[in-house]
Amino acid sequence: MDILVCVKQVPDDFVEVHLDPATQAPATAEIERVANAFDTYAVELAVRYCEANGGTVTAACIGPETAKNALKNLIAVGVNKAYLFNAEDLAAGDDGAKAGYLAQVVKTCEEKSGVHFGLVLCGKESTDEIRGQVGAMLAEKMGLPFVSSVIEVAPNGDGLIAKQETEDGIATYETASPAVYTIAKPGYDPRYPSIKSKMAARKAEIPVLTAADAGLSAVESVVTCTSYTEPPKREAGLLIQEKVAADAVAKAMAVMKQDNAL
Amino acid sequence: MSYILSEESRDLLQDVRNFCQNELKEQVKEYDESGEWPRELYEKAIEMQLHMLDVPEQFGGLGLDRITCAALIEQIAIADAGMAVTLSGNGLALKPVLISGNDEQKKKCCDIIINGGFGCFALTEPNAGSDPAGGKTTAVRDGNDYILNGRKCFITSAEVADFFVVTATTNKELGGTKGMSAFLVYKGTPGLSVGNHEKKMGIRTSITSDVVLDDVRVPAENMIGAENTGFITAMKTLDLARINCAVVATGVAQRCIDEAVEYGRQRKQFGKPILANQALAFKVADMRIRTEASRSLIAQALNTADAGLPFSDLGSCAKAFAGDAVQQNAIDAVQILGGYGFSREYPVEKLYRDAKIFSIFEGTNEIQRVVISRSTIGKL
Repeated sequence: MDILVCVKQVPDDFVEVHLDPATQAPATAEIERVANAFDTYAVELAVRYCEANGGTVTAACIGPETAKNALKNLIAVGVNKAYLFNAEDLAAGDDGAKAGYLAQVVKTCEEKSGVHFGLVLCGKESTDEIRGQVGAMLAEKMGLPFVSSVIEVAPNGDGLIAKQETEDGIATYETASPAVYTIAKPGYDPRYPSIKSKMAARKAEIPVLTAADAGLSAVESVVTCTSYTEPPKREAGLLIQEKVAADAVAKAMAVMKQDNAL
Repeated sequence: MSYILSEESRDLLQDVRNFCQNELKEQVKEYDESGEWPRELYEKAIEMQLHMLDVPEQFGGLGLDRITCAALIEQIAIADAGMAVTLSGNGLALKPVLISGNDEQKKKCCDIIINGGFGCFALTEPNAGSDPAGGKTTAVRDGNDYILNGRKCFITSAEVADFFVVTATTNKELGGTKGMSAFLVYKGTPGLSVGNHEKKMGIRTSITSDVVLDDVRVPAENMIGAENTGFITAMKTLDLARINCAVVATGVAQRCIDEAVEYGRQRKQFGKPILANQALAFKVADMRIRTEASRSLIAQALNTADAGLPFSDLGSCAKAFAGDAVQQNAIDAVQILGGYGFSREYPVEKLYRDAKIFSIFEGTNEIQRVVISRSTIGKL
């Protein structure tokens, strides 16, 4: 089966993000871009699936020219082909608009590579905005079955079996193929590239397509984010300095009672 | 890091840095404590091909330049010196084969390493350390074979090795330097056995053992190079291996800086970070000077080797300097951390133990000074 993984570049989530005082928007311009962690889980899951059952993995990213490097890094860990859609002016759209662009991206990748994807994967959310909507909306736009938070995929005749991580355990679903799944953190980590695969991947050609190449044009957003607010700063704790243990405990109990914490 | 690297090499270095940070740095602590060889960590490093940096491209290797290899090994050493010693120790075992062996031997040993195996270089003996020519191991011709007898000690990775490069005297009359030969002995050869691994002070994630040769019969074609040229092969091997030793030492020296700076920026005494005191800030500056100077000497030795020029004394300069530098850096790091530096809860205590070996193995720093002084002063 041929699998497409939609990959988004996000600011490195090891870096704490604050609001830009001038624009009141998250100040992320100076933060290094990396592939969204959940998208890398999706890539690892897809590569493992194809290693076990045959097939190819394609990665697609809508992003700036600099996203080429992230895609090359994915080729180093088993992705066979990657396409970059250099259409950053579309980045401002809401999730519905982005899902629409991705549906077109999937179609364009199929035309360019001559394969029909049996499965389209997205990370269950991106680590920057964490809305977790695009995958489901993409399935809706494409009219395909959808399962969220998948951690394992197996072939099932002409269809697929997906194991979904839930609050209480694992739910198992059968769907037809093609389908769209979003991927949660499986029980393994993405592999590291070997030195040889990394060196080969650096030489890989990443086709860069424009919005026009993919027939993408800006769609009006129906949802607008009106403002961002930083979480309130943690208030200083109360220091209990009674020297005798019994007094300290009594004081702590009294304070907790007063704040209805008991 | 002061090495001038290509964009491709910097990219590889970043991958190795991520790997070491996420998969080795914390994980090695329990193995340092227990003394167990961290097989699962090595398996991960092997998947990244960090064990085969010395395999030439024509035999399936990676084709990286020497400075890039040095930068990658230093990065591993920043996480753990013992693992850097083991992974680059494959290069130590391979070097005599690459220097003097034939293509068949080279291919066989390279294939073993590429497939995840290990090699070891068995030169040192209980009574032949700084004076390897004084070795007692013998190889006696018997038809188309040689029979090897003797005991080697302090052999890195012997317990996990698939091939052993063993030096032995083939001509007693010519003496140690002119009557020594090198042989390839493969794991499983009858009479070849490995003793218990040493309980070492530092680099505890590398495994170090005795090797016993009891009537070990090896075919004559396992001889590396011509008969009685083993000492020259061994010395040429050590010329290169010493530079690698300096590289690993430099990684530990850098880690000493990293830990001292991280702690010293946060630790407050008298209302300010302790590194705001020049007495300690200058210690950090000196640590940095020593580390950068080590890298410069390493680069100078490697570039000279690449140019095909004599580099033996430059390698000794790098090894002796970096070997001394890492010890001073470890002393300074422990001092900056004070009581916490003396505690096993903090990483510099391990660095202090790891640092000591670098003035001892691959030729003591005193022997390096013998090499350097002879090449500088000439015959008297």
